[in-house]
Order: sequence, then C-alpha cells, then structure tokens
Amino acid sequence: MTPPAKAPSRVRGTGLHRPPGDDAARRPAIGPIRAPSASGVVEDNLAGGLHAIVARRSDVPMVEIRLGFPLAGELIRKPAAPTVLSESLLAGTLRHDRAGLASAVQRIGGRLSADVAGDWLLVRGSVLAEHLVEMLGIVGEVLVGASYPSAEVRADRDRVAEEVLIQLSQPEVIVDEEVSRRLYHGHPYASGLPSPGALRQVSAARLRRVHDEILTPALGHLVLVGDVTPRKALAAATGALEQWLARAPAGAGVPLDPVPAVRLGPIMLFDRPGAEQSNIRMARLAPSRTDPSWPATALANMIFGGMFSSRLVENLRERNGYTYSPGTSFDHGRAGSSFLIDADVATASTAASLVEIGYELGRIVIHGVSEDELESARRYALGTLSFEMATQHGLASRLVNLAILGLDPGYVGRYSAALKRVKRDEVDEAARRLLAPSQMVTVVLGDAGLVGDSLALVADVQPSPISVPH
Amino acid sequence: MSTGSALAHFERAKLDNGLRVLVAPDHSSPLVAVAVVYDVGFRSEPEGRSGFAHLFEHLMFQGSAHVGKIEHMQLVQGAGGVINGQTMADLTQYYEALPSGGLELVLWLEADRMGALALTEENLRNQVSVVEEEIKVNVLNRPYGGFPWIPLPGLAFDTYPNAHNGYGDFAHLEEATIEDAKDFYGRYYAPANAALVVAGDCTPEDVVELASRHFGRIEARPAPVRRSFAEPRPSQERRKVIHDALIPQPAFAAGYRVPDPVSKMEDYVAYFVLANVLSDGDASRLRSRLVHHDRSVTDLACYLGVFGSDTFLMRDPLLFQVVVFHPGVASTDALLAVIDEELERLAAEGPNEDELARASASAASSHWRGLDPVLNRALALAGAEVVHNRAELVHELPGLVTAVGREAVAAAAADLVHQHRAIVELLPGGGS
Repeated sequence: MTPPAKAPSRVRGTGLHRPPGDDAARRPAIGPIRAPSASGVVEDNLAGGLHAIVARRSDVPMVEIRLGFPLAGELIRKPAAPTVLSESLLAGTLRHDRAGLASAVQRIGGRLSADVAGDWLLVRGSVLAEHLVEMLGIVGEVLVGASYPSAEVRADRDRVAEEVLIQLSQPEVIVDEEVSRRLYHGHPYASGLPSPGALRQVSAARLRRVHDEILTPALGHLVLVGDVTPRKALAAATGALEQWLARAPAGAGVPLDPVPAVRLGPIMLFDRPGAEQSNIRMARLAPSRTDPSWPATALANMIFGGMFSSRLVENLRERNGYTYSPGTSFDHGRAGSSFLIDADVATASTAASLVEIGYELGRIVIHGVSEDELESARRYALGTLSFEMATQHGLASRLVNLAILGLDPGYVGRYSAALKRVKRDEVDEAARRLLAPSQMVTVVLGDAGLVGDSLALVADVQPSPISVPH
Repeated sequence: MSTGSALAHFERAKLDNGLRVLVAPDHSSPLVAVAVVYDVGFRSEPEGRSGFAHLFEHLMFQGSAHVGKIEHMQLVQGAGGVINGQTMADLTQYYEALPSGGLELVLWLEADRMGALALTEENLRNQVSVVEEEIKVNVLNRPYGGFPWIPLPGLAFDTYPNAHNGYGDFAHLEEATIEDAKDFYGRYYAPANAALVVAGDCTPEDVVELASRHFGRIEARPAPVRRSFAEPRPSQERRKVIHDALIPQPAFAAGYRVPDPVSKMEDYVAYFVLANVLSDGDASRLRSRLVHHDRSVTDLACYLGVFGSDTFLMRDPLLFQVVVFHPGVASTDALLAVIDEELERLAAEGPNEDELARASASAASSHWRGLDPVLNRALALAGAEVVHNRAELVHELPGLVTAVGREAVAAAAADLVHQHRAIVELLPGGGS
C-alpha cells in the first residue's frame, strides 16, 4: 500500500463541518486537585549540629542525596575560591585519587558532584538504594579528607576559568550578569560569576581553609529522599559521617547583609554588535517566601508571565511572534528575593516588545485579573507542585532549597493550603506591588546600532559598556 | 518483589483505526502523564521544506476543531498540568502531565488535534516567526549553538534525510504553506502512525474505554510506508572547518557509524557501553587522560544519536559522536591521535571487568532515576513502541547493558578505529 500523495479530502483539515452538539464537541470536566505537601518527612539534628531531613519515596530503588551549606557574604562577593572548590572537592583524598573516587561512586550506581548555587554550596548525588551506606561513606571521606592536591587544583582552576569564558560568551549569561550588577549594586549578590583572572589565582592552601570554613556540620543541611526507612537512613548517615560530625564548628558563621533598595534609572542598553536578537530583562526585588503576600504574588506572576498560557506569552509570542520563549522567574536568596522578566526578541521588534511588556504590566496593575485566570493559575501552581513532590529528585531539591532559606519541610503543605485560599483582591494587590512597570530595572543586550534609535523613542535609554570579561 | 519492578508493568490495546494504546498504571501519586508519539520526524520532511516537521509540531498547538488557538495550553495548564512537544529525527512527541482528574480532558484534546487540526494562514505565519526566534535563541545568537548536531550530520551523511538541518533554513520555513501542512498531516498524523501512552494514576480499563470514546471516532487511514534512510558508510575521512567569531575556544566533533539499533540492538548496546567507558565520569578513559592528565581538553562527551537523549529513539543510520571542547593548546589532530590511541587500546585489550561493572551499575541507576517521573515513563514507552515496536525495551535496557562483554566492546572500538569518520572543527575567529 502506498501513502496518499495528498491528504484525502475526507481528512478534516479544519474540522469546521462537524455538526454542533456532537460528542466530540463536549469538553470533559476536570476533577478536583489535591493540595500537595511534603509528606512522610523525618527531620533531626545529628551530632555536630548537622540538620538532616529524610523522606521515603520508593517508586524506584534509588536515593537522592543533597548536602547544602550557606556561604558567607565575603565568599559570595568573591566566588572564585568556592567555585574552584566545587570542582576540586572530588580531586582526591588520602585514600583515593580523583579516578579512584569516581570509580568508587560509579561502581555502586552513584553520581556525586558539587556546585556553587548563588549564595550556597550544594553537594549533590544519587545512588542505588542498596548502596546508600557505601555512598554516605564516600561523602564522609570527602568531607573529612579532601586533600586538594596542588597539581589538581592548578588544573581545575584553569579549566573552570575556561568554562567561565565559555559561559560569558553566551548572551543570556552576559545580560544576567549586568542585571545582577544593577539590581544588587554593592551587595555580594551583584558579583555574579567569578572572573577568569581571579579563578587562576586560587591556591590549594586557600581551598583547604575555605573547605573548613564552608563544609561545617553545624552549617549544613543533609537531605536524603528515596527508597529508605527514614530512621535507618538517619542512623546510617550518623555512622558514615561520624568523623566529620565530630569536627569542631568553625566560629565565623555566615554573615550576609540584606539586599539594598533598588536604584531605578533609564534602560541600560549594552551593545553586542551583530547580535541576532535582543535580550530584554526587567528585574526588581520581590516578596520572600515567608512574606504573607507570597502565595498571591506567585499567582499574580503566573497569570502575568509564569506559565505558557500567560498574558506575556500570549502577547509576545502567540499574537506577535516577536520571541520564542518569554517568561518570568523568582530567585529566592537568603538575603532577599528578586523577580525577573526575560524575553529574547527579534532585533527589529526590540522596541515593540518593550512597549508590549510595558502594556501588559500596566494592564495587570490597573485592571487586575479575572476569576478564571486566578482559578487556572491556582490549579497550575498546585499541579506543578504536586509533580515536584512526587519524584525523589524534585522533593530532595525542594527540601534542601527550603532548608537553606531557613524553611522547614512543612512549608510546602502550608504554602499549598494558602494557595487554595487566595482571593482575587489579594492577587490584584500583589500584582500592584510586584508588576508596576515604573519599578523595574530594565536591561537590554543587543545590537545598539540597530535598536538604539527606536528604543529611545519609547523610553529613556542609557548606552552602557559591557562590564563582564568577554 | 523488589521496589521498582511494579513500574515495569504495562498493558496494550489497539483501536480499530490502528492507534496503539499502552497503559502503565502507578497509583503512588494522584498524577497522570499522557504521551502521543507520531512516527515522523525531521528525517521524513520533504526536500525544500527543511524544518517542516518541527514547524508542524508548533502548528499542533494552534487549535483544532473544538479548541481555539492557545486554548489547548490554557486547558491543560488550567487543569494543573504541564504540556509540550518535541521533534526528533524519527519521531514527534506530544505530552501532558497533570493531576489525574484531568485525564479525560487531555485525551479529548489529543484526539481533537489528531482527528481535526485547525490550520490557518495567520497561525502558520505567526509560528514561522516564533520558530525563527527559537532558532536564533538556540543556534544563531548563541556561541556553539547547534554544535555539533547541525553541522556534523551534514558532513557525515550524503542523502537529504540524514544530512539536512532539522531546524530548517529560514527560506524553507517562510515558503511553507497551509497545503504543505495539510499534506504532512494527512500523510503522517494518522492514528495508525501513532502510539498513545498513559502512565500513572489510572486503570487500563478506564484508559482503553476513554481512548475508544475519544480517539475511536477518528477515521482510519493507512499509516505511511516507512522508507529506509540507509546509506553506505563514507569511503574516506571527511573534514570540515567552521569559523565562528563568537566562540572563545575551539571545539570539534567526530562522527562514526554504528549498527542498526532496531535490527541489531545487542551489537548497538556495545557502542553504548563503549561511550560510557570512554567519557562517563572522571575515571573514564578519555576524560581521565585528556581532561585531568594531559589537561588539553576542557570538556568532552561521547554519545549515540543526534542529541544523546535520543540514543534509543532513533533508527538507522545514526552516529557515535565524540565531542571535544579545548583551549587550543593541542591541535585537533593531536587530540584525535589520543582518541585513536585509546580506541586502539580498547580494540586490542577490551575494557576491564571493573569498567564493565561500572557501566552496568550506571545503566541501572540511570534507568531508575530516569523513570521516576511518571512523564518520562510515558515518553520512554511511547518512543520505544514507535521506533522499536517494543515498549518492553525500556525495561530491558539495563539487562542488555549488563550482558555486554569485553569482546563486544573491543569489537565496537575496532569498528570505530577502522572506519572513515567525519570531523567538524569549530574555530574561533572570522576565518579567511
């Protein structure tokens, strides 16, 4: 049989000829959505003051491991050392070289890595559940005995510097660096990525000192989620990490000033000659997760731009075709929270996109939201949170994120219960607080020669030199 | 029974119009995932219409007989769900994951667009613009964008289906017409050319009943006869240099041919293990030598398929890729010589038992970790059902990896050493 060269005429290309009222036209109703919570979680403080959270999720025979540590302001301001540390942490111990550690982890179906995530350092891993004790033993070996061999550290810092150079060639990284500088002026959060020059100066001796400063039991949050019995897992962690937990706490703590008030000003236009698109970013400080208005704020954001079927996406993408994937996001740090609108738009539509974003911001703060929009956003928020709670990976990441912010696992249930209660006037009020176009720091990265004149017609524009190494 | 084994259970049905229905129940959370995978990808798009399969995927979200533009997204998200689609070389997948009270809504939505897509000129033009911005974000405005998945197949293969850019040329996208879309839809979006998978909080009886109710009324039409994309291996090594002013350091990718994954899965899996032995983790052969010992490489990866995520979602022919980013201290040829040396050593001696054990443990943990989200389970089953005609493969993979012996990996390495590969170099600067 050969396929038809053309669609046969009976293929209903438009479907416009169906009789009204037939079965296909009846849209099925949806059922209620349960408010999710992080259920079955056990919390404890282990020896040495280590905060531990364990949750059983046994769909698959794995365990997700997270170990988070807050960074002090000075290390956030100068992130070169923690960044190299996250690479060299697994470069060797007294017992194993780098390949030996990697082999030991891999042999038990494990993964292990470390990253600096803004204002904290995260050690993350996973392992086949039957090998959890061995995996915790390897983690303990690294925490106590990471030796930072000088030759390895030199190689790692050079490689991380190369990786940062690659990152800094990406337009979305350049523009985010400029947004941070502008939004957090003077605060450690303004620092962004470490410079390649600073990275190349990090010494092994410095890493050994920083290791003891950061990776202290009293500052840490250990999260285990998976096919475990929580009490047994806690006992296993206490045993495997015994030597590390016995370490004296570092005295310094992790001081970090709150973020300063935003300085508003003209649109900052950064020139990237030959750019194929303009990267538009609008940012401001936002309510934290503990602010009473946070649930309403989260819903106001979803209606505005936080989901695909939002006003921003409908306007910029589906109506105008200016951009592929505009969106909004929050960043909750220990020192404060921020809100970001991002749109990577066609160069020729840069000014038009800014006008449309400003229009949608103005529209939501002046006219508010509809009941239908609120109900959709509420269900979307509850549904996506349910998915996060349903996987080992999602739950482990959420729990350690909350712990770093000082929030307990019960936060999830309180938050989803609050989402269920939010009223429309609260969302309107939250929208006025979050989305006022006059309160945004606006940054544009693009071909200034092509977009500067039209931007100047719609806003006050200040051409600015790119400050990151590039 | 060990944890996780319940996840391997699924049931099958087939509707009269040829639609395959698979159901993988799991009641651990009140959540459900739906995947509809069509047996068409960018390898099947017509010449002169590069990028059309992906553009058409966008049009599938623009409304159908009873659903307006944007409404599909609004209804799924408003039911608490996530939704998206993805176009690959040999398949196009559409999916939703949401609280299980929305299951029938999603099946109705998917059936409406399978049976009666609404195609309008205005929506087509709008989505051409959106896709062009997508290509700018991911390729044109991004250093290393599209590398190596766009240039490497273009060098390694000679025939249009295998060699062309699946994102498409702007000129081709802009020439696309509603007639093209109707033709493509009629040819490839028949129920008999798709698989529907529902995983999560549901029962097989309910799903089959709902699928019959909503998809059963879609008229049967023949699935297209699938052509072979096979082409001979290159008869000599191929090299291409691309200059890019935006990139801070050089990169290169080498592409090698491998056995047909569908008819020779056991042979193919040996190449999967070889990729693992070469580049997975700091103890792997190429990473430990080039990144950590020689320090001549910043990052590298070995994988099968166009993106690596499609290793088991592609038919023949496809590539084994070695992708290397380096600071330019060593030349491409010097780095290739090291890769050859390591391949020759593996060809002569095979991997050691520890390397095989590690590959086996990695495969098991990746398998379980990957399948934990119910959406991934639905997508994996649907993809294997369409490409391999065997959703069971999803749960057989860890065993297949464990069964690979030293000789098979040695033979795979020998095959790579002895064949004529394609090498694309990406160099900083404007070129001459």
